[in-house]
Amino acid sequence: MFHAFDNTGPNRPTPRPEWMALLSRAPLPLLEQALSAPAAAPLQWLRKPEAGLYMVQGRAGGTGQRFNLGEMTVTRCALRVGGEDSAVGVAYVMGRNHRQAQLAAVADALLQDPAHHEALDGALLQPVRQHLALQQAQRAARAQSTQVDFFTVARESGTPDEGEDE
Amino acid sequence: MKADDLQQVRPGFRDPAIGSQSVFRSALSALSHPGRVIEMPDVSELPRHGHGAAAVLLQALVDSDCSVWLSPLLAGTDAAAWLRFHTGCHWAADAASARFLWVAEGDALPALASLDAGTDAYPDQSATCVVELQALDAEGADGLVLTGPGIASEQSLCASGLPEDFVDQWDTNHRRFPRGVDLFLATPTHIAGLPRSTRVRAAQTAVEA
Repeated sequence: MFHAFDNTGPNRPTPRPEWMALLSRAPLPLLEQALSAPAAAPLQWLRKPEAGLYMVQGRAGGTGQRFNLGEMTVTRCALRVGGEDSAVGVAYVMGRNHRQAQLAAVADALLQDPAHHEALDGALLQPVRQHLALQQAQRAARAQSTQVDFFTVARESGTPDEGEDE
Repeated sequence: MKADDLQQVRPGFRDPAIGSQSVFRSALSALSHPGRVIEMPDVSELPRHGHGAAAVLLQALVDSDCSVWLSPLLAGTDAAAWLRFHTGCHWAADAASARFLWVAEGDALPALASLDAGTDAYPDQSATCVVELQALDAEGADGLVLTGPGIASEQSLCASGLPEDFVDQWDTNHRRFPRGVDLFLATPTHIAGLPRSTRVRAAQTAVEA
């Protein structure tokens, strides 16, 4: 859920692939909060939100042969905010929530516009980063509470073979 | 698709389900009444390049399994980006291997014999060629006369812009039946179908008589 590139260094601009990755995992309340005004403006749809299935593949241990883990639903859409020449916003989000895909695409379109980038980075991307970091910390804490420390009692003397003879 | 291409893309069908079905209905009418000039319904936004009827027809027919070849005037334009975005088709390396061809007005029609005519076992796996023309008329001075399935007696069609030896090429195409290429002729607003089952001859001109 949380990737290394989510931690942007100071004064480093967020490139588009990274903000798209953030938007695809942004929860709906955060999107609604930051984008209620621009999303109400007339949108030019290139592709209305549509849900589809993606096959997720994994590798055992991260190195083995690829195998099909299972399918997941993904909603995608593409739109323009404003006129014919404005930037195209694209979104792919997990699940079947059309509104979430629409808002993520609006955010992508606005972030490409230098006039809006700065404001939206603070109003939307930063809270999303915090949300994801918090989520990861909670998950890590939950896993941490079940951690078991294995330790081996050292044998008092001799080799294992001798031990079995006794 | 590159980000630059996406910037040029215009919207497609206003209602994907109704739009594609009404265009498919027109395509069906065009092929079942060869040579009849049929108006294309206005159901879609169009790219800046290419003829509207041709673009909408391909948008309805093509999907991600199809390979499409574009004539030089269309390749690399916003029409290419538009078709790719809305259908997910892929580009054929050359005309001979394409399942669909889109030939712009002003570009030469590739020789019909060089296109994929399908096999005797699978004659349906042949190329469909959408050819843009300036105008299509049922009545005309020196047009084509069509006969065959779907035509009661004769159908006349005046299609300017086809190659000079089109009648000979089409005769060869027709003789390969059930293999062969199907043709759609498209103006900005109308289409006419020319399936491989149709026989074509040049209308007798008054000068020759």
